[in-house]
Amino acid sequence: MAVATAGLARPAAVPALGVRAGIAGTLRSEFTKLRSVRSTYWSLILLVVAGFAWTVADCLGTAHTWPHMAAQAKVGFDATQASVTGVALFGQLVILVLGTLVLTSEYSTGMIRTSLAVMPRRAVLYWSKAAVFAAVSVVIALATSLAVFGVGQSLLRSTGQSASLSQPGALRAVLLTGFFVALSGAMAYGIGAIVRNTAGGITASFGLMFLLPQLAKALPSSWYAVVDRWLPGGDILPAITSSQSQLLNPNMFPAWGEFAVFGGYAVIMLGIGALLFSRRDA
Amino acid sequence: MIEARGLTKRYERTLAVDDLSFTVRPGLVTGFLGPNGAGKTTTMRLILGLDRPTAGTVTIDGRPHRRAASPMREVSALIDARAAHGGRSARNHLLCLAQTNAISSRRVDEVLDIVGLSEVAGKRSKGFSLGMSQRLGIAAALLGDPQVLMFDEPVNGLDPEGILWIRSLMRSLAAEGRVVFVSSHLMSEMENTADHLIVVGRGRLIADCGVAEFIDRSSGQAVLVRTPSQDVLARAVAAAGGSVTRESEQLRVRGLSEDQVGDIAFANGVPVYHLAAVKVSLEQAFMELTADSVDYRAGLPVSQEA
Repeated sequence: MAVATAGLARPAAVPALGVRAGIAGTLRSEFTKLRSVRSTYWSLILLVVAGFAWTVADCLGTAHTWPHMAAQAKVGFDATQASVTGVALFGQLVILVLGTLVLTSEYSTGMIRTSLAVMPRRAVLYWSKAAVFAAVSVVIALATSLAVFGVGQSLLRSTGQSASLSQPGALRAVLLTGFFVALSGAMAYGIGAIVRNTAGGITASFGLMFLLPQLAKALPSSWYAVVDRWLPGGDILPAITSSQSQLLNPNMFPAWGEFAVFGGYAVIMLGIGALLFSRRDA
Repeated sequence: MIEARGLTKRYERTLAVDDLSFTVRPGLVTGFLGPNGAGKTTTMRLILGLDRPTAGTVTIDGRPHRRAASPMREVSALIDARAAHGGRSARNHLLCLAQTNAISSRRVDEVLDIVGLSEVAGKRSKGFSLGMSQRLGIAAALLGDPQVLMFDEPVNGLDPEGILWIRSLMRSLAAEGRVVFVSSHLMSEMENTADHLIVVGRGRLIADCGVAEFIDRSSGQAVLVRTPSQDVLARAVAAAGGSVTRESEQLRVRGLSEDQVGDIAFANGVPVYHLAAVKVSLEQAFMELTADSVDYRAGLPVSQEA
């Protein structure tokens, strides 16, 4: 092959020396990264499909059995919650994996070295990546949450219990569900930055959000009643997706409170991740 | 210009880079030579800011890379051909790198063309051969039209045509006045490419000199003599300032030329059956030199930096 150095002599498309590379370019770059690998599409499609599947199955089932249900069982039925629970549950599972992968895949492929060589200001890289992923997951999760709400309510119409967004608490539940899913992804991203390994990151996230709340149940019940509201999983899910003003579970804070607790975990993980990402050798 | 001053990197118990000081200048291809595990890759990682030095500093044009304003304009490196996400197409890989430094997509197509990957630009790099991955890495290194280029073992995985190509690429980059810093564990590779050598062993600097100088110092160092009067000749040679090692059938003389050894034998009336200068190959010299860097460090001068 001939040596084509001609291209080197006329790199008109390259900015002049000293033009500062910054956040705008890195955000664009991170969006390119996210949209140019298949795992993003597969994960997000799975999130949407699984969310819908749950809603359709659950709401259809409820509508079908409603006429035969005991009056006692109908008390406290939350149509909003019934429609969005699937997104919270499956959406969280999927987004935890994707959130972990966003950063750990760079470590497993070696891409992180290239990324840091072209953007050595680590905080810029870390937060740009987090922001792009958070933006995409918020949009997808909110849209899915809204859509399944609509589908679920139309399926539940026959029960006479179906909700509308103007009803108290309904919009809050729909929004919090979407943000809860996005926050889970952000937390997984932080954990991924701490662990720097895909399998380890996913295990840690699942352990924190699913295993820890189960283990806590082994505590004496008086302790559990105190601890439960501070856990990042388990009862937090029904609390956040509820449209009621008064929760059935007396251990828990109201929806916004539990959302804040979960947000606290996300902030802590993101923060530790950021600190380690800046300090450690790549 | 890359300047390392007292650069040291310790990973837990191993000292990967040990008090390295050197300067890599523009307009030359500088070979970075050392056996596997000598600390070459670690040094390059330190230059790029991927790792933090335990002690000392390394700067590019006076600044650590972490404080570079436009990193891709200043330095680029081909450290690991596989340092790309295999699920991403070659073009998208280059595009996401270019975007961080506001380099337009036109330049992406340009470098794909330079390295000859235009036809597979849309393919995922997972399926690339090592040689193609290497070319993709080189494309990434060229993207920002940088002043400083580093290549870590660039000929690995390339076919002979590819090796020739990258050699002339490096030479032309240097001819344009850039800093070209190339590591290799193969002396023969450097012989064909480099103008200047920085040789390391066990993380320490062994030599920092021109290629010609390095070759002069390492080759033709011994004279082999076969004689029945080993004792007499050994004493005479030692008296003339040579150093002698006895091997079963012959003497190995260092520090004197074959002519001088012949004259000494004649003057002492020692019969000589065989006399030959040993041209130590560069490869051998290099291996000897780096096999135990501590013993040999004193023997080989380290050129003093101005």
